[in-house]
Parts: sequence; C-alpha cells; structure tokens
Amino acid sequence: MKEKMINAIEVQNLHKSFGDIKAVQGVSFNVNQGEIFSLLGPNGAGKTTTISMLCCLLRPDEGDALIMGHSIRKDPNRVKAVLGVVPQDIALYEDLTARENLTFWGKMYGLRGSTLKARVIEVLEIIGLSDRANDRVGKFSGGMKRRVNIGVALLHKPQVIYMDEPTVGIDPQSRRSILDSVVDLKNHGMTVLYTTHYMEEAQELSNHIAIMDHGEMIACGTHQELVRIVGQMDRITLTIGSSAANEESDDILRAWKAVDGVRQVTSDDGAISLLADDSNQVLPSIFEAAATNGVRITSVDIKEPNLETVFLHLTGRALRD
Amino acid sequence: MKIIDIALKDITRSLRSAVALVFMFGIPLLVTGMFYFMFGSSSSQGQFNLPRTKVVIANMDRGGPRLQASSKSVPGGIKANTLSDLVVKVLQSEKMADLVDVSLVPDAVTARLAVDKRQAQVAIIIPANFSRQFADPYGQAVIEFYQDPTLTLGPGIVKSILNQFMDGLSGIKIVITVAQDQLQPKDYSLIGGIVQQYLETSMLQSENWAAELLDERAPGKLPKTTGSLERILGPIMGGMMIFFAFFTGTSCAQSILREEEEGTLPRLFTTPTSQSTILSGKFLAVFLTVSVQIVVMLIAGKLIFHINWGDLPSVACMAAGVVLVASSFGIFINSLLKDSKQGGMVFGGVLSFTGMVGMVRIFAMNAPGAANLGNTVSLFVPQGWAIRGILQTINGSVGIEVFINTLVVLAWSTAFFTIGVWRFNRRYI
Repeated sequence: MKEKMINAIEVQNLHKSFGDIKAVQGVSFNVNQGEIFSLLGPNGAGKTTTISMLCCLLRPDEGDALIMGHSIRKDPNRVKAVLGVVPQDIALYEDLTARENLTFWGKMYGLRGSTLKARVIEVLEIIGLSDRANDRVGKFSGGMKRRVNIGVALLHKPQVIYMDEPTVGIDPQSRRSILDSVVDLKNHGMTVLYTTHYMEEAQELSNHIAIMDHGEMIACGTHQELVRIVGQMDRITLTIGSSAANEESDDILRAWKAVDGVRQVTSDDGAISLLADDSNQVLPSIFEAAATNGVRITSVDIKEPNLETVFLHLTGRALRD
Repeated sequence: MKIIDIALKDITRSLRSAVALVFMFGIPLLVTGMFYFMFGSSSSQGQFNLPRTKVVIANMDRGGPRLQASSKSVPGGIKANTLSDLVVKVLQSEKMADLVDVSLVPDAVTARLAVDKRQAQVAIIIPANFSRQFADPYGQAVIEFYQDPTLTLGPGIVKSILNQFMDGLSGIKIVITVAQDQLQPKDYSLIGGIVQQYLETSMLQSENWAAELLDERAPGKLPKTTGSLERILGPIMGGMMIFFAFFTGTSCAQSILREEEEGTLPRLFTTPTSQSTILSGKFLAVFLTVSVQIVVMLIAGKLIFHINWGDLPSVACMAAGVVLVASSFGIFINSLLKDSKQGGMVFGGVLSFTGMVGMVRIFAMNAPGAANLGNTVSLFVPQGWAIRGILQTINGSVGIEVFINTLVVLAWSTAFFTIGVWRFNRRYI
C-alpha cells in the first residue's frame, strides 16, 4: 500500500500588497514532506514576498499557511523553530569568524553548551569549511560565504528549509556545489522550498514546481505535468538582421504567425521566439516568409519543450533574468 | 540570555573595528596627550612648569615722605626705604624666584631696549616722582609696564602680580587721603600709624600673600592632590571623553540600521527570537560599549595623566549618567534615520554641533566674561549637562549638587530612550 504523503507546507490563498502594488495575489500550494519544491518566476514575480510571509517576516493581508502544522499567523514562533532560512543575499557578520557566526546563530535558534559546540563542528564539516573555521567571513570568497549562509540555516536541524535564490551571482563551481547540497538536504529528509529564476535549476532539483508571475501562481505541478501544458510544441528562437529587426519586424511577425503549425510568436530584444507543433515542418515556411519580406535570418535555435517554453506559452514572455 | 548573546556579539564587532577603537579611545587620549605635552610632562610629576619671565626694572624713584612701614608689615619682612623699593623687593623676593628673574637697569631707555632686543620679556619703569605722587592725595603714582607684544603668558603673570600689589597700595593711599582730610593740623605721625595698622590687616600682611597674588599657586578649592596640569587636563579629557562617548553611542546604535541593510536583522527575525529581545540586545550593546569606553578612559586618565576625577561615588554617578545619556541619544538619533547612509550627515553635523555646544563650558572656563554665557548655552544640549557633571566631580563637588545634575542627565536619557524605542518598535515590531 502506498504511504500517504504528509504536507510540510500548506499555503492557502496568500495575499500581500504594498500600497497599490499587489505583490502576491491568492497564492496556494502544498509541499510534501521530504521533497524539493521550487517557486520559479522572473524577478518581481512575488517569490521573495511569498517566502517572507512563510518565514513570518511579513504578515499576509489575507490567507494563511501551515508549516509542519503550525500557522504562520497564529503560531509564528513554532513556525520559526522548525524553519531554516537561507536568504537571497548573504546575511552574515563579516567581522566574525565562520565559527563565531555559526555559534551566534545557533544560540539564536536556542542551541546551547555542548550541543551547540558539536553542531557547529558538524555544520562546518557539512559546508566543507572546517579548516577555515577561525577565519573571518569577510575574507571568504563569494562561494564560501554562500556555504556559510546555508550552514547557518542547518544548525538547528530544521524540518523545512527555505532557500531564496541561493545561486544568484556566484561562479559555476560554487553553484554546482550548492545545488548538490540542496539534493543532499532532501536525501536527509528535509523539505526544501527553493525559489529561483533559473529554469534549469528548478528542472534539475524539483519534485514539484510552481511558476509565478506578477504575484500570481500561473502553473504548478511536476516538470512533466508542466511541460504537458504546452504539449509537444517546439520552441524556435530566431535572430534576424538588425535593419530588418528595426524596420519590418511587425510585418514579418505577422507573416510567421500566419504560417500553418506556428502557435505563438513573441519578440524580445531582437530575439524572436516561436512555439510550433513541429519545427521540421514549419521551418521551410518560416524561411520563405522571411525571404518574401526581405528579412535575413542570422541564427536558428530549436529546443524541445521545457519550463521556458511553458512560461512563454503561459505569459507570452520569455523567462529572463 | 539571548539579549546578552546579541549584546556580546555587537560589542565584539565594535571592538574589532579599528575606526571604532580610534574614536572610542585613540582620539580622546591623543588630544589629552597633546595638552599634556604642551603644558607639562610626566617627569615633572604633574606640576605645571612655566619658564621664568625675565623682568628688567628701571627704578628712578627719588623717594617722598619717609616710608613708615615696619619690616613686619611687608611681605616676607622686606625692608624698604621708598615705595618703589618695596615694588622691586617684592618682585626680587624668594617666593617669586621661580616665576620671575629680575635685574635692575639704570634708566627707562635701557629697560625698553632690553625688551626690544628680547633680552627681557618685561620692563617695569618706575618714574622719579612715584613715591611723591603716591603720598600726594591728588597725585597719580604710575608704573610703566613695557612688554614683548608677542608674549602673553609670562608678562601676563608679572602684570597680575603687579596689579594685585598696586591694588594693595591703592588701599593704603585711600587710608592716607582719608586721614589727611580728617586730621587737622596734619599729624603725619598718626597717619603713619594708621597706614601701618592698615598694612597689618591688609592682604600684604597675609602669610599666603604670594599665593593670593597668583592663583595658579593656590589650588585652594581643589583637592590637595590636584596639580595645575591636572586642572587643565581633567576638563579637557573629560570633555573629549563625553564628546566621543556620544559618537560611540550613535555609532553602536547605528548597527541596528546597518544590520537591516546587511540582511542580518531580517534574518534574526526569522529565528525563534522575539523582535523585542533582538532590539533589547542591540540597545544593551550600545550601553555596554559606551560603558567600556567611559571606564577605560577614566582609568587611563587617572593612570596616564594623573587626573583626579573626584570621589568614587560621585564619579560613579557621573559616569553612569554619561553612559545612559550618550547611549540613549545614539538610539534616539538613529531611530530618526531612514538608513545608515544618512548617518554620515548626523555624525558630521548633529553630533559635532551638539558636542561643540556642550564643550563651550570648557572653552569658556577661564574667560570670566564668557563663562556665564558658555555655561548657559551648553545646557541646551545633553553633552553640556554631562560635561557639567564631570566638572563638578573634578572640582570636588559631592552630594546634592552631583545628584541633581545626574537627575537632569537621567531625564534627558529617559526622553531620548523612550522616543528611540518607540520609533524602533513601530518600525520593526
């Protein structure tokens, strides 16, 4: 018999506005225990505001969320006790050493004495900085700081961990290391709520993905479920000559939209994206329309359906930084 | 417990900042040290060493009616035939030897030339009719005081001595005039007796006449162990200590804004630690850091510069007041700021301005005309009250005077703290 999954996070109709700006509008989703759940969306989509409400930094205008059964409205202290938070920006004391940072944050999570000492040593090993424990964090590289930043959230062995875009602005090697550590956390039974605007990360890590845009959740499911939204459509990205891009772009866009088998055409900064049922079938017609309109195609890129395609399909915009 | 953890973390961070250390300890000690080396040195055991002022005297007085002052009526039992002799012998006396180096010249031209050639700093020229004019009820006995215009301190002291001496003689002249008016026919013998009686009861007869002539030699109101150098250094170091304690208070309290910008404060708010605990820890850090600064500075002042801060209970009272007002002022000021970038303006502007206004009391201390105004103006800012407190303890005040000042300082502190905490609570809780 299949074991019933328990929700680590239950988000119910969250709303948050800042003045006239509706940052989050009616967001609801559930996260099972022991899984990685990604919130994917461009900057300003409302991911960080959602996370801020879930870790009790912001009070929702409407709605509620249960974290391991504790309400963020009624029982924020219990919520905080089961949560580990990795903020988007590095939030450490640069004039303290790695050990001093971990010790201080451990105390803030209620750890004391030998338990704290032992846990600090364990976390230093987990983040691979035992040999640099007594160096000031200010002297660390960006990647090392990121690791300490994550280490702080692990000190009290939280049941749920929020990671808010932890790979922004770091080198590929450190990024790889962080992604591996996220998978590691999941393997240790932690529930991870991960926000990112990198489609590849969400695709690689997540059991479930929610796509957010303009404060709303526009899709939620597994990677396969989301891709199924756009069916078997290919994404064709075209680059055209600069003069044509400026003068005749509207005509060519209309011409391509009229091609049989092309479902959607969008233009963004000189790059034109097309969603098509079958790229092999539509490409000759696309080139023909270009020639008729005097437009020179300088590059063609064809991709199988992915989260980027889903976002494009749902919003009419590319998922960009 | 978490409050203490947060406070200790903040203190550790403050003490690891070179800039903070310079402001907390370096600059106050440096400024005091500069005054210390300007006015004295450690080898002089804290005594105020002034170079002797070279004085040339041209005494051309031809005398007048016989001077009837007995040796016991004049300073140090000096014997003098004329009034000008008395002036010369007072300046040549042993008690003046460490202040003035007197030599005699035959005439006024030589005396002035000695000053012009910088062989002497002061020339005192006593005219030929000095004694006669003095004896004449309607005459004016004038001594010419010729000094190097580039010098102030040495000639100032000589002038002060001479003025006090001449004030005493003026009293004698009044006695003579009144006696001449009242006694008909003129009974010079009786007048002589009256003058003598006056002299015996006047300042000139005093055992401590030299001390009364020069205030620097008579620290009467001060604790006996306080030397002249410490009397200068005490207020300076006290003022510097308070000036920079306010900087420390503001800088430490600014860590609340800095932590908000660095993201550590929001992160703290995601831990199972209440916002009020976090803010209390931050406030405690401000108080403890300023306390460390004040205690270290008081001890350093005592050990390095031999400053006598006053009796222990009064000093403790004053120090507690300074810690509270400097810390709460920092919390208050930062609660008004939007972010730490505005802090630069506050540091450069508000703190410097209020600090200088508070220190007007010290700047004006030795200027009788400006002292009252300075004292009043300085009380418009909290620094002024804190400095008033420290000057009270240095001057040996105890009891109600110190207590009242501390109460006022506490009132400032309470007002600042209440507003600051209220504004921070509104912001974060």
